[in-house]
Amino acid sequence: MRGEGPDHLAIERVVKRFGAFTALDGVTLSASRGEVLTLLGPSGCGKTTLLRVIAGFLDPESGSVSVGGRPLTGVPVNARNLGMVFQNYAVFPHLSVADNVAYGLRARAVGSAEIARRVASALERVRLSGLADRFPDALSGGQKQRVGLARAMVIEPELLLMDEPLSNLDAKLRIEMRQEIRLMQRELGITTVYVTHDQEEALAISDRIAVMEKGRILQVGSPREIYEQPAHAFVADFIGGCTWLDGAVAEGVLALAAGPRIACGGAPQAARLALRWEDLRLATEADPPEHCLSARVAMASYLGHRTRVRLVAEQGGAELHADLPSHDRLPAEGSVARFAFDPSRARVFGADGARLL
Amino acid sequence: MSGALALPRPGLLGRLDPWPWLGAVAFAVMLVFVAWPLGELATQSFIGQESGRFGLDNYAEFFGSSYFRRALVNSLTVGALGTLIALCIGVPLALAYARFDFPGRGAIEVAILLSMHSPPFVGAYAWILMFGRSGWVAEFARGFGIELPPIYGTLGISVASAFGLYPLVFLVVRGGLARVNRSLEEVAYSLGRGRVGVTLTVTLPLVLPALLTAALLVFLGVISDFGTPAILGEGERFPVLATLAFSLYLSEIGAEPGMAATTCMILLAIAFALVLGVRFLSGRRSVASDAGGGGELRRLAGARGWAMTAGVAALVLTANMPTIVVVVSSFLEVRGVVFQPAFTLANYHNAIGAMGNALWNSLMLAGVALALIIVVGAGVGYYISRRSGLLPRALDLLIMVPFVVPGTVLGIGYATVFNEPPLLLTGTFTIIATVYFIRRLPYMTRSCASVVYQIDRGLEDASLSLGRPPLSGFRRIVLPLMQPGIVAGAAIAWVEVFSELSASIVLYTGPTRTLPIAAYQQAATGDIGMAAAYSTMLVGVAATGLFVFLLAARGQRDRGVGWL
Repeated sequence: MRGEGPDHLAIERVVKRFGAFTALDGVTLSASRGEVLTLLGPSGCGKTTLLRVIAGFLDPESGSVSVGGRPLTGVPVNARNLGMVFQNYAVFPHLSVADNVAYGLRARAVGSAEIARRVASALERVRLSGLADRFPDALSGGQKQRVGLARAMVIEPELLLMDEPLSNLDAKLRIEMRQEIRLMQRELGITTVYVTHDQEEALAISDRIAVMEKGRILQVGSPREIYEQPAHAFVADFIGGCTWLDGAVAEGVLALAAGPRIACGGAPQAARLALRWEDLRLATEADPPEHCLSARVAMASYLGHRTRVRLVAEQGGAELHADLPSHDRLPAEGSVARFAFDPSRARVFGADGARLL
Repeated sequence: MSGALALPRPGLLGRLDPWPWLGAVAFAVMLVFVAWPLGELATQSFIGQESGRFGLDNYAEFFGSSYFRRALVNSLTVGALGTLIALCIGVPLALAYARFDFPGRGAIEVAILLSMHSPPFVGAYAWILMFGRSGWVAEFARGFGIELPPIYGTLGISVASAFGLYPLVFLVVRGGLARVNRSLEEVAYSLGRGRVGVTLTVTLPLVLPALLTAALLVFLGVISDFGTPAILGEGERFPVLATLAFSLYLSEIGAEPGMAATTCMILLAIAFALVLGVRFLSGRRSVASDAGGGGELRRLAGARGWAMTAGVAALVLTANMPTIVVVVSSFLEVRGVVFQPAFTLANYHNAIGAMGNALWNSLMLAGVALALIIVVGAGVGYYISRRSGLLPRALDLLIMVPFVVPGTVLGIGYATVFNEPPLLLTGTFTIIATVYFIRRLPYMTRSCASVVYQIDRGLEDASLSLGRPPLSGFRRIVLPLMQPGIVAGAAIAWVEVFSELSASIVLYTGPTRTLPIAAYQQAATGDIGMAAAYSTMLVGVAATGLFVFLLAARGQRDRGVGWL
């Protein structure tokens, strides 16, 4: 849902250091109005630091952040008009649900009748209407996060910042809440920056995902692009399961230690081939032998509609994973079988992690 | 939702982070009222009393004089013995409260907390009433031909101090026990140890840091106390460092301010050496409680429960006996130096007649100091626990110094420094209110800091992100959540300030005489009936205030004192 016109959020070459540690190493990123942009990466990658720089809790060493064309350098947090939702909810424990939601409105020039109206409508939106007078210690985790959500949205922020808002909830509630958040965000059209380390959550909730590692952004793209066309070995590895096969590129061909060979341009170098688990299948007569390999089934785990098998390549001994449809005639544990892949599904990365094919 | 929500443009206050500025002001105040007087005393201690030369002359004289050396030995002896006795009372109580439920638990706990807050010299005075030369217990024993050991000197001072300070042991050790992971004890039981074995081999080693802290606090309390050794040491007969410094500074027959400063420095050196020593020991023996702790209380039913109640009550009653004796005595008729078994209000009549402004002075000074302690202590407690950097750390350290400095030392420091312009404060109410404030501020900052550590930082971030300036968020979010810490800190600070004697005894003049000073003077040299009446008034007002704070704190789960 990349909108037209200038970027609503523009982050330019932001650098943030903590002592000798560089948390953000020249990050440039933008989001258009109404978009959900997710910062995804392992812990320590800088995603929360970037969110806190946008919010104004941290001052970057250099670079700039602007929202709606307004540069935020030097603007204190409380004058930025950004809504924020926290991992541990940060619901004020001594205020009722309604007072929590009204808190930000009371800092603005809003009449008390108007406050009551807006609070009631915000609580209705997060389905907490009946709990307005409750205190937070009487709420479940999911309810507390709904209060946090209503509190951040009711001020009609320029930007909604969400810092792992679902990590403290159980798995079922997490899925339910992320759908709710997505619906609500679309309805209100609030530009949102969403931080998570959960790839599935990121794929489900985002318009675009920025994958971060070591203070840098490796790739920005739609969930589909990130998953299907990873630009970097780290992205391929971090999102979705991958099997890695070592090999070398020479004279336009990548030769894998496990046997297969596929066409691949580029200078001669060591390279790795990544295959999604679902892209390795049992070979048939029709498969060309250079796209096949023999492997011993070390272990098979039945997962319902799929069976995950752990394989050891007969040639070279590399370890592979494959998700096979459970209705296939599956080889027994300990037996050797032929497996094949479609080279168009294979991604090849150079030694430095950059995509070759 | 409709209509744009305008976020008011924050003014200067909304943009600036005010905390570092407030911190800097607090630091400057602490430099003037803590570092300067103590620095001046340290300097004076190196200027020879006789020779006027800069050097170790005073220290040489101190350690060369058998009288001065005796004061040092006496201080250390009563400190050690008092600590031992306080541990013997406080540790069993703490074990009982941390592990068992028994009838009357709550009520007895209030009695323990109250006994903590009777001024120490009132207890000392009660011991004289009971066991002194003409004390009624001593007389009673004499009737059977038994001569009790004299209460004056080492034994009396140690016992009286311990009875006043054992609640510290109770609170600190109980807090330590509450943090011990109970499954560790269960493991020991499962490995075949009995109850006593487990207590000795697992529980006590785990609470060793708490025990050390408790011992330190009691020891500091004993050697810092002025009133108890002054009353039970009979002036110069049994000198300790605190009373020695006082008489050297204020002696009518040739004061020796240089030697007083030296004595102060030696007392201070002992105190700081102990603090550092305990820090080192508990640091090395870090038995960091790996999560958990607490656990169910074992309910003692029937006879065993009542036996526990009786044991605990007897212990607490004994410890409270001195206060009870003073209160009862205040209503007894006095003939000469002996109380008679007849009730009268004559003591109060005399006491109020001779009181002058003492009660009013005390209320006013304690009130002003407490208000300052609450406002400054809450702000500083927040600042030092939330901010990192050199200034907050330095401020924290400087504020904690008066916690360790004996009142007499600080009093002498103030009298030395603030007796000339621009800060000519000697003889004023200001100097007494200031010394009250500075001495008891650490209680409030510690108490508040320990609460702030438990408040989620995200709440403040949330408040900021919702558009509130920092100070507004502090007032609406942090301050309400800090309330338990503020109430706990204020409760302790109130009693300590209201019954403050060791610093104000150095600094008072006729018009600024306070109730504790009046009580002390009568107890030391005057009318025993009036002394009992003043002491009762002192205990009464202090306890009333404490009771109000306890009521305010009711319903707040954590009644423990955070600064410990």
